[in-house]
This record gives sequence, structure tokens and C-alpha cells, in this order.
Amino acid sequence: MFRFHSRFRLATLLLATPLIFSACKDDKDDPIPDEENEQITTVSYVLTPTTGGGSATTVTWRDTDGTGGNDPTIGTLTLKPNTTYTGTIAVLDETKTPPANITEEILEEKDDHLFFYAPTLANLLEITSTDRDSKNLPVGITTQVVTNSAGTGSLKITLRHQPGAKDGTFAPGDTDVEVTFPVKVQ
Amino acid sequence: MGIISCLPGRIALWLGVALIGLLALPGRAQTAPVSCTLALAGRVVDHEAGTILPGATARLLETGEVSTTDLAGNYHFHVCAGTYHLEVSFVGYQSESAEVRVTTAVVRNFQLHPDAVELGGAVVRGQAPTPAPTQATAALTGGALAATRGQSLGEALLKVSGVSAIQTGPNVFKPMIHGLHSNRVALLNNGVRQEGQQWGQDHGPEIDPFVASQLTVVKGAAGVRYGADAIGGVVLAQPAALPDSAGVTADLHAVGATNNGLGAVSATVQGAPRRLPGLAWRAQGTVRRAGLTRTPDYRISSSALAEYNYSAAVGWQRERWGVEAFVSQYNAQLGLYPVPENWNRVARDSSPAPLPASFTYRLERPYQQIQHTLFKLSGFYRLNGWGGRLSLTLAQQADRRGEYDKFRPRNQNVANKNLPELDYRNQTTTADLHWEPSLPGNFGGELGLSGTSQDNTYRPGSRFFIPYYTNLTGGAYAIGRWHPGPWLLEAGLRLDRRQLDTRRPTRVSGAFDVVRESFAFTTPAASLGLVRELGPHVTLRADVSLLRRAPAANERASQGVHNGIYEEGYDITRPAGAPTLGPETARSAAFSMSWHDHPRLNGELTVYQTNIDNYIYQTPVAPVLDIRGLFPSYRYQQTDARFRGVDLLVAYRVAGPLTLGMKAATVVERDLRLNDYLILAPADRLEGWLRYEVPAQEAGTAPRRLSGFYAQLGGQAVRRQTRVPRDNEERDYQDPPPGYWLLGAEVGGTLRLGAHTPLEISLTGTNLLDTRYRDYLNRYRYFLDEMGQNVTLRLRMPLAFGNSKK
Repeated sequence: MFRFHSRFRLATLLLATPLIFSACKDDKDDPIPDEENEQITTVSYVLTPTTGGGSATTVTWRDTDGTGGNDPTIGTLTLKPNTTYTGTIAVLDETKTPPANITEEILEEKDDHLFFYAPTLANLLEITSTDRDSKNLPVGITTQVVTNSAGTGSLKITLRHQPGAKDGTFAPGDTDVEVTFPVKVQ
Repeated sequence: MGIISCLPGRIALWLGVALIGLLALPGRAQTAPVSCTLALAGRVVDHEAGTILPGATARLLETGEVSTTDLAGNYHFHVCAGTYHLEVSFVGYQSESAEVRVTTAVVRNFQLHPDAVELGGAVVRGQAPTPAPTQATAALTGGALAATRGQSLGEALLKVSGVSAIQTGPNVFKPMIHGLHSNRVALLNNGVRQEGQQWGQDHGPEIDPFVASQLTVVKGAAGVRYGADAIGGVVLAQPAALPDSAGVTADLHAVGATNNGLGAVSATVQGAPRRLPGLAWRAQGTVRRAGLTRTPDYRISSSALAEYNYSAAVGWQRERWGVEAFVSQYNAQLGLYPVPENWNRVARDSSPAPLPASFTYRLERPYQQIQHTLFKLSGFYRLNGWGGRLSLTLAQQADRRGEYDKFRPRNQNVANKNLPELDYRNQTTTADLHWEPSLPGNFGGELGLSGTSQDNTYRPGSRFFIPYYTNLTGGAYAIGRWHPGPWLLEAGLRLDRRQLDTRRPTRVSGAFDVVRESFAFTTPAASLGLVRELGPHVTLRADVSLLRRAPAANERASQGVHNGIYEEGYDITRPAGAPTLGPETARSAAFSMSWHDHPRLNGELTVYQTNIDNYIYQTPVAPVLDIRGLFPSYRYQQTDARFRGVDLLVAYRVAGPLTLGMKAATVVERDLRLNDYLILAPADRLEGWLRYEVPAQEAGTAPRRLSGFYAQLGGQAVRRQTRVPRDNEERDYQDPPPGYWLLGAEVGGTLRLGAHTPLEISLTGTNLLDTRYRDYLNRYRYFLDEMGQNVTLRLRMPLAFGNSKK
């Protein structure tokens, strides 16, 4: 009898062990803002005319709530015909306060980054990078934009992240940013 | 410490207390003298063919008692508790003996080998007889299971007709039963509901199939017994019972494949010490590695895999009670093909060129890193009289899944930490209390209580995809059975309650915020089943059921880009005013007829229909625009659906050694609200084979060096899926791929290395003609071909160290 009960107690103890292993998570755990990773929310392209005068024009692509949810707001790039502009691109993380300027980091890691500017209607705009990295390859943070005759089209700007593989072409690496602006030359 | 204050602990405690209470009552009767009426019985069958062997002789060496097997192949003894040596012999077969410790009623089945085969360690299993479900059920065991060794669980289950798989490249197979998958297929790993991140279509089951000695698929709604998630069916990965023969045995497996350089080694060692009757143990480990998979034209970039799994069990069993502890861990790194950027824009008419790759075992991003740990304690107690059997299972599961994407953080400092982009953590405690009284007459039944407490989070700093959630589920069920003669009538009722609290981040208003949502659903389930035995060879089964399933966290509130695909739950962007996602209700009916244990014709036909109101499913939607471009996107939707299908399996012995076989499956999935086909339904499949088996050697001849030789040639044809939605052109990124057929072959046998050292060898070739094809259910079919020609060598060696304990 006693023997049985001592064994029985052993069994009970064994059965009770999961209590110790039970996950006792604090139910108040909540997701926290992902401060460490940058979330690129905004691309601004500032174009300042160098011929013919006039004020600078800025076009912005913004999606502060991330993928899905509200649609991004996309500005239209309106330029004058037969004009030369200097362009400067800014990439921001506006989920941070104050907004983090990612362009500075891209500049620091310019040997790994490359902006591509691809107008559709190829003769609408001519865009050339005016900056160079340590290997004399283009970076594309600053550009020169030359418009031709009036017309409409679009401009696709792609930031390629090419760690250790940048060779001036599009192919290596991944896309960090790919935004398309409608363009009016009028 | 708060152990008791948290809910899982409490559930476990309640059940523990309930069990102790029930155990304590009849415990006094324990001192009554044990009479010599313990049943020792079992069935004797042919190891190769599985046919029953009436007229075989079972002899108890200790008492000299003899029992001859009846027409069903069964022998019976009534004995006192103790250790016995049991010898079973039959003309033309190798006699087998086993040491059996009888502490309780023991069912000991024997699989006799034709005389030529000598197995040192008898293959013996002691099992509690489980009533056959009233649903169509298929089991992979013995030779059929051996032919899948080295494959993942989802791939192995493809052997069962009516089972298909959602694939993600060559490494991830998600089982699909009768067109239903993920949250609608319950997986039971050694009796414990697998709780990980089973919801994801790109998440294969986190189970090492080498743990199982039998894989059982219940095809059809079995939700009353297994929980509301079992609308589509149940997959049971069942290890053999712990040994009750004294001595130590081992089982070694080795697998190698030519296509991807797969190598798998698995070893199981088990034993029961002679001096400690009641104690038994088992330890098992598996290593599986593979390099890049080859299609007929190229290597699939980043498709290597590495898996390291182990498990251990120890059990203590007496006449009336037993306890068992089981621990297992599954560790896998599964390579995924890097989804090409913008593939959806070129996919409609052409396919993006494959990435260049050369053979390597190296794992590169993207890959999944999965760790699943299961700790299980189970116990049973046999009550007096009609009290029957009471069992309790407590389990703790921890599942960690890191998704290492190819797309890395732009910031080099962050990228250098090499952290997974998605990093889920999931903890689940489950408790199941089960009571099976031994009712008088032809009646039987069971009552059960089950509870689940689940907590899901992700690593702070990793990307949101699945919300933080706590999921509490409690269920109670009752099943009654009436078994008059050749009939079996079964009725079941179940009630579940699920409380789901989700917490997810959002920036819809611009600033970071946490959306808290709480849902509770009570879902009933009912089933009625009928089995009719028409003689020894034909069984008819019919069942109807009504099941409700509450939506899961991913169906409601998942959101994010992962491996180049954007996915979101139903509640994320539902239109204003639209109700949140509700439970789905399944009404299903199935009929099956099986011919079995027949010398010539065996097979099974299953016809089924399932109607699911508010069916929750994932469908491709218009690409979502993100700062990185347009992403192919999937969203959860709800509709009324109907599934109708037929599975057929026929094997006919044409002449002595030659068998002709055929397997077919078709399912028609309709969207009843749109009066249209549902997207992503499995295509029709047809498989045929011709098998040659060397007939069993005549008695009295000298044992041959090679025995059990067999050779098989087969073909598998899959039709192009034409049952797609009318607007498939806009919805899917590519038309369903063309149909295909594949040639396969297998040869094998047992080589006698020594008197007691058999080596089972088989060589299997798949896609022998190196056919270039794609499958509609592969999520990467838009840009990837399937595996080309592959030849797999499988070796198995059972070992016995019978005398090592002396």
C-alpha cells in the first residue's frame, strides 16, 4: 500500500512538472516601435533651374504608414521646357521624430549605393549624375536634369543597394527604393 | 514567480488536480490480489504482404500453453503478471520469439517474415487498440513509409491519394487534404497537436518524420475528436510504443540522393532493462543535409537545407498505470529561392530567367531557420470495473521561426548583425484529459477535455508580420459508439471556445500606435459516422459532420512584405462598416468503401462533399504599391465554398508476383457566392504502377542472401488545372502551368549480411526522364521549375543487442 502510494506520488509529481515549464508571459507585452531599423517613407527630389531663372521645384513621394494601408501620396514633377536643373534627392524616414535623413547615410556608404533615373519617353528629360564615389562611379544624389520640348511622361527613380558589388550597372544587389513620379514638361 | 497565476499553468493544474482526484478514488482497490486474467493477445500477419496468418502457433515457453490463431489471425492467452517468452511459428515463415513483460493487458502483434528472412530483433509492437475512425483513413507504415525516408513530412504524405501539398520551392511542403490546408488540417505529433506557425502557406510542418513509425492521414472532417481545426483532416505522426521486450535494439537509416546531394542519417536506440520491469526508453537523432536542387536546366539558387533533430522518451508502465515523458527538438534551415524582383510584371507571358547558381551545400539568404521544441508528459490510469481508462497529456511547445530575407537592411551596421527580418516566437501549452470507460455490451465511448494557451510574439526590432497574440482555447467533447455485430455507429459532440487577443503595430495615422483587438467565439461541432463490415474484405464507411472554426490571428491581422510578396489579413483593410472576420461553418459528408486483406484485389474509394460557409482563403489581389515598388499581393477573403471530390486507390494482383496499381484524386472547388471556381485548387492526379515481388520462399529451403526483392515501375500524371476563376487573367499572375507526367521506378530487397544482420536496400528513381515541369500549387511556379531526375538510395539496418543486459 505504502509502496504504491509513494510511486503514485512520483507519478503525480511527474504529471505536475509542466507547471514549471509553462510559459508565463506577461500579457501586457506589446509590440514596440521598430526604432533600430530604418523605414524609408519619403523620397523628395528638389530641382533648381540653372538656366532661365525661376524658383526651385520639389516633388515628394510619401508613404508614412508603410506597405499597405493608406495609399502613398505622389507628387507630380512639373518642369519648364528646354531648361537645365540641378537635382538633389533626399531619402527620409519620417516614422522617426525628428525625421531621419537617410541620404546622409547613403552618402557615407556611397560606394555601395547607386540611384538610377529612368524617364519614360526617353527624350523628355536627360538626367546625369554629377557626383562620384571613391571608385569614380556615379552615386546619383546630385544630378543634372535637362528638359527638352513640352510633353508628359514619368520618371522612375531607383536606389540600388549593392554592398561590395557596385560596378556602375543596375543589376547587382537589391532595390531599396523604387518610386515613379508623373512628369509634365510645360 | 507567478507560475500559478498565469493561465496555462492554471489549466494544467486544474486538469492535474482532476486527474489526481479521479486516480485517488479507486486507488484503494489496488491492494486486491491480482488474478491471473491478464490478456496477452495479438495478431499474426505476413511482414511483406501484411496478410493475416490464421492457424499460426503461439506458445508461451514458461507455461507451455499454446494458442492457435483464429481466422482473423488472433491468438489469446490469460496469464499472471510477469515476464514471458512468447514464440510464434507458422509453416513457411521464420519463427519469432519475444520476451514480453506482462503488467497489464498486452496486445502484441507479430509480423512474420517468410523463411528466407532472418531478423535478429523481432519487430514487435505493443499498442493500445484504437478504434478505427469512421472517416477514410490511410496509413504509411512499413515498406510504404520506408520508401519516403529522407523526405520532409509534407512530401512523404504525397504518397496518400487525396493528399497534395502547397510547395514553396523544392524544400517546403505543406500538406493539403481534399483541397484544405493550413488552419484546417490538424497535425498530431506523438499525440500532441502541433502548435507552431502552421498557418503560413510557406511553413512546412516542423516535424522530423524519422520519429514516426507510422504516418496516418484521416481524410475528412474529424473535428469532434481533434478540435475544430480538423475540418480538412488530420495527420498523425506516431512513434512506435516504447519496447516491452527486455534488451536493447537499434534501427539505423541512411539516405542519399543524386539530384541535390541529399544525405540523411537517422538512428534510433531503444531498450528496456531486464531488472527494472516497467521501465523503457528510446533515443533518436536525425541529420539531414542537401545542396542545391537541380531542375532539368539549372540549379535552383539558395535551395540547400540542413536539419538536425533529436528526440528521447522514457516510460514507466505498471499494470494499472503508466507515465511517459517525451522530448523532441526539430532544427532546420531551409533555403528558399530569392524571389526575383518585379517577377509579377514579366510573369504573365514569360518567366524571369533563373539566377545563376552552382552546386553547394552552403545556406545563403533567403532561408528559414526553424526550431521547434516539444516537451510532453503523459500518463494513464486504468480504473476498476466500467471505469475504463483515463489519460492525461500535458505538453509544452516552443516554436521559433526566423525568416532570413535576401533583402537586407540598407544600413550596414544593422545588416552586419545578420538577424532574421521576421523572427516569430510562439509558446503553447496544451492539456488533454481523456476518459474512455469500458461500457457493457456493444457500447463504447469517450469523453475529453482539452485546453490550449498560446502566446505569440516577435523579436522587438524585427519586422511586424503576425501580430502579438494570446490565444486561449478550451474544448469538451463526447463520443459514443455502438457496435452491434458488423455495424459500428458513432456519434460525437464538441464545444470549443476560443479567446483571441491580438496586438499589432500601426502607423495609419502617421504615428506609431498599437491596435488591440479581442475576439471570442464559441464553436460547436457534431458528427455522426457509420461503419459496416461486409465480410472480411469489404468495409463501408459513411460520416456527416458539422464543424465551426473560429478565425486565427493570421487570417485577421497579418500584414507585411516577406520574400518579395505582400500579404495581409482580412481585418487590415476591410471596408468601413464591413463586419470583422467571423467563424466558418463546415458541413461535410463522405462515403468510402474499402477492399482489404484480399489476396487479389485491394483498394479504397472515397467520395466527399464539404460545404464551408464563410470560407476563409487567401487569394492574389492587385499589387500593392510600396516605396520599393509594386509587390505581388495576397489577401484573406471570405466566401461560401463547396468542395466535391473523389479519391481512388486500386491494387490488383494480376499474376502471382505481379501487382498493378492505380491511384487517382480529383476535387472541384466552387465559390458559391460568385458561382465560380475557387483559385488554387489541386489539379487532377492519376498514378499507375506495376510491381513485381519475389514470392515468399518455400519452407525448408536454405535462406537466401537476398530476399524480399521487389521492382516497381510507375508513372504519375497531373492535369493542367482548368478550374480557375473566370477573372483568373487579372487575379493570378500567370495561367496554371501545363499538365505533366513523370516516370518513376523503384527496386529493393533485404540483403542478409550475417545470421542476424539484415540490410534493407532500396533504390528509387523519380522524374527519370528529366521532365521540365511546374506544379500549380507551388508558390514559386511563376519563376521556378520543379526538381529534375533524382535517384535515391535508402538503407536500413535493424540491430538487436539482446544479451547486452545480462
